[in-house]
Amino acid sequence: MLRQTRILLCASLTALIPGPAFAEIGRIKSSSGIATVERGTTELPATTGQELLAGDWLQTGKDGRISLTFVDNTRFAVGPDSRIALSRFEYNPTTQKGSFVAKVERGTIAVVTGRITKTRCDPMPAEANACGMQIETPDSEIDPHGTRFIITVVAK
Amino acid sequence: MSRRSIAIWGAFALAGCAHSSVVLLPDEDGGHGEIGIRQARGQGGETVMRDANSRATLSAGQPTIQPLGAKGLKPTEAALLASLPPPPRSFTLYFLEGTTQIAAESAGMLEQIHAEVARRPGAEVQVTGHTDTVGSNADNDVLSRKRAEEIVNWLATKGFDRRMMSSVGRGERELKQHTADNVASAANRRVEVLVR
Repeated sequence: MLRQTRILLCASLTALIPGPAFAEIGRIKSSSGIATVERGTTELPATTGQELLAGDWLQTGKDGRISLTFVDNTRFAVGPDSRIALSRFEYNPTTQKGSFVAKVERGTIAVVTGRITKTRCDPMPAEANACGMQIETPDSEIDPHGTRFIITVVAK
Repeated sequence: MSRRSIAIWGAFALAGCAHSSVVLLPDEDGGHGEIGIRQARGQGGETVMRDANSRATLSAGQPTIQPLGAKGLKPTEAALLASLPPPPRSFTLYFLEGTTQIAAESAGMLEQIHAEVARRPGAEVQVTGHTDTVGSNADNDVLSRKRAEEIVNWLATKGFDRRMMSSVGRGERELKQHTADNVASAANRRVEVLVR
């Protein structure tokens, strides 16, 4: 097979991957206590199986917890009294590259990174920041490089 | 503030509970990565955490990094780690040449996949079919998709929700064993199943 044909076929295949019109970025695996997903002006209960979209906010109350998995295999555990935005999530399952920006406004989160943190930035010269994972907190920007970590943000 | 007083303040901040921080932990497979920390609004350079089991402050100033020490994680942090979803698990099933029939050696794996799905709350299944290079690309696209659907249909007969499954056929594009065109290869006639 010609290389060029192969590239074209791969590109068209990406478009053929079945799925809803919006891009599902992950799903909730479990939750307890007060736990919601805020989507625009709508508040959805954070129940097992709930799909997540880029732009969603995860919110927990005093006794709330949410565990979730993303399509690139990133995993989150969100602790009580947390407010976390899934600000940006772009992932190409064929190339296994993408970018993920989350924001921890307050609370705690444990993260095991997925494929996205393995994305090398050089094949995406068009947008300098469109690669890898970044987590924003009120005072810091965190760049994990393939690892497991816990972030605590104490609201001021 | 002098350098010394910053250090003392940093140590105090690490000992207390009411401060923002990031803890770098070992990976589940034993290695560990690194974490770069920059101050918001682009002030100062990047501080890099290189050692597992260390904690860095996340405050308006430069981060200070300390080993977790004998005390280890706070109880709330340990509870948080315990509530992470389990890592995704992948399975590979092999097929007879030119068919959607599962090879004898892979027959037992269906039950393993079913058991894995059953023990995970909110399990999702992602199925990717492949072929060897015998036959046309178009035929192999169809065959690989049918192989993937075979697994999805089997899980559906076991009562697993189709909305939690996705399948795709990649034809002969992603060979496990690299061969010339029109070469039969048992290693390439496969379906990869990811349970997340």
